[in-house]
Amino acid sequence: MPRWGMVIDVKRCIACWGCTIACKEEHFLPPGVFFNRVLIGETGKFPTSSKLIYPVLCNHCTDAACVEACPTGATYIREDGIVVVDDDKCVGCRACLVSCPYQQRTYYDQKVKDREYFPGQGKTEMELLGEKLYPLKVGTVIKCNFCSERVDEGLRKGLTPGQDEEATPACVNACPVGARVFGDLNDPDSEISRLIMEKKGKQLRKEFGTEPAVYYID
Amino acid sequence: MEKRNELEEIMFPSDGSGVKPYEWMIQPTRQREWIDDKGIFLWLAFFFSEIGAGLYFVSLFYEYKAGLILGWLVTLILGGVIHVLYLGMPLRAWRMLMKPNTSELSRGIWIIGVFAALGFLQIVTAGSFNIVFNCIMGILCLLIISHGFATMNVIRALPAWSSTMVLPLSVISGVWIGHQILQFMFAVSGSAALASGMEVWAEVFFFVYFLCILLYVWGTWHSNEIGKESIKSLITGEYSKISLIGVLGLGIVLPLILTLIMWGGNTNGFLIFLRLASVIAGDLAMRYVIMKSAVYTPLI
Ligand code: SF4
Ligand code: SF4
Repeated sequence: MPRWGMVIDVKRCIACWGCTIACKEEHFLPPGVFFNRVLIGETGKFPTSSKLIYPVLCNHCTDAACVEACPTGATYIREDGIVVVDDDKCVGCRACLVSCPYQQRTYYDQKVKDREYFPGQGKTEMELLGEKLYPLKVGTVIKCNFCSERVDEGLRKGLTPGQDEEATPACVNACPVGARVFGDLNDPDSEISRLIMEKKGKQLRKEFGTEPAVYYID
Repeated sequence: MEKRNELEEIMFPSDGSGVKPYEWMIQPTRQREWIDDKGIFLWLAFFFSEIGAGLYFVSLFYEYKAGLILGWLVTLILGGVIHVLYLGMPLRAWRMLMKPNTSELSRGIWIIGVFAALGFLQIVTAGSFNIVFNCIMGILCLLIISHGFATMNVIRALPAWSSTMVLPLSVISGVWIGHQILQFMFAVSGSAALASGMEVWAEVFFFVYFLCILLYVWGTWHSNEIGKESIKSLITGEYSKISLIGVLGLGIVLPLILTLIMWGGNTNGFLIFLRLASVIAGDLAMRYVIMKSAVYTPLI
C-alpha cells in the first residue's frame, strides 16, 4: 500500500502563489478559504536577516492531532495515509480545527458559503458551477485532501500519482518551478523518497509530534 | 465605495483571518473557533456543565434533593443544550459518542449520558443517598466539572490550555461555585444554620481557587514562549481589563472581602447572594480570558 506524501523545495519556490490559486480552482473554494498557502517570513536581524518562503498545506500527519480529537470518526486516515473528512459524519464541533497545530482546517458555514468573489453582484457562473461540481456541506469542516479524487481516479485508470498529471494534486501540477514533488513515501525508489534521503528532508515543526507526510528540502 | 468596503471586509476581515495567505501563522496566532462568534456558546456550555455538576456534587454531601435536581437540570438543559446548539450539525450530535477511545469530547458526552441516567435514578428513588451511589455520582460530577477544561487540556498545540493547572483549576472552580449556590439555597430556604455551617468550607474552597489561579498563571508563563504570550495578553494585553475587573476584582477581591466579613460563620443571605453573583461573574471572566488568550506557535 502506498503512503502518499509531498516534498517541497523551498529554495526553488519563487512565491508565485500558483499552487494557492490552482488549489482554489480545483476545489472551487470561496473567498477567504485556502487549503494551500505560501507563508512569507523573516529570520535573523538586519543586516543579516533573511527571507523565509514556506508553502504550507495539510501535512496528512501520521499521528494526526485532528484524527485523535474528532469525536465522530468523521476525520480519519485512509490506508494510503491521506487524512480526509467524511462530511456525512461531521457534526461541526471543530475539535479537529482547534487541535491542528498547523491550523490547516476551515469551518464551512453559511457565512462562508454566501461570500461572493464580486460582492453585491451575485455569484458568477463559475462559482455556481463549483457549488454543483464540488458541493461542500454547510456546518462541517473542510481541508486539503491531497486531491484524493484525482489520485483515486488516476489509479483506477492505471496512472501513477506524482508522475502522471491526471493523477497528481493540482498544486504540484501548477508549480512552474517544480518545487513540489508528490509520491509514495513507502517506495524507497520513488523520487520523493530519494529527495528526502539525499537532501535530508525536514518536516515543518517536527516538535508538534504529528509526523507530517509533507517534507521540506533546501 | 460601499461595495469596495464590502470587498475589503471579505479580503481582509477585521478579525485578521483574511485573504493574506502569506501572513498566516507567522506570528503567534489566537485560537478563535472555540470562543469567537458562535464559539461563545461553548464557553457558556462548559460553564453551565461545570456549575451544575458542582452543585450536584456538593448537594451529595448534604443529601439535599433540591440541589441535586437543580444541578442535574443546569448540567443537562443549560450545559447540554447550549453545547449542541454550538454544533454545525446539531441533529447529528449523537455521533459524538462514536470515538471515546481517542477523543476527550466523545468521552465527555458518554460521561454526561451516564450522569443523566444515574442522576435521574438517584433523584426519583427513595433512599437513594447510599454511600456507593453517592461515590459513583461524586466521581461522575468531578469528571463533568472538568470536562470542558479537559477537552481543552488535551490540545497540545495551545500551551495556555495544555498547562498542568488547567484541570485542578476547573475542578476547584466547579466545586467552589456549586458550594456557593447550595449555600445560597440554604440561606433562602430558611436553613440559616446550615448556610452558616458551610462557611468554613467556603473559606477553604476560596483559598484553593485563588491558589490554583496563581499557579495557572505561573505555570503557563514558565511553560514556553507561546504560553508566555498568552499570559502577557491576560495581564498587560488586550484582555487585561477583563482579567483585572472580572477575574481579580469579582472573582477574588470582592469574594475575599465578603468572606472576611462572614468569617467564622457570621453569614447572612444578602452577603451570600452578593458573593455568589461575584464568583459567578469572576469564574465566567476567568474561563473567557483563558479561552480567548490561547495562541498557536507560528509555523516559520
Ligand atoms: S496538518 Fe493538521 S489537519 Fe492536516 S493531518 Fe496534520 S493535524 Fe490534521
Ligand atoms: S468538526 Fe467534524 S471532522 Fe472536525 S472533529 Fe468535529 S466531527 Fe470531526
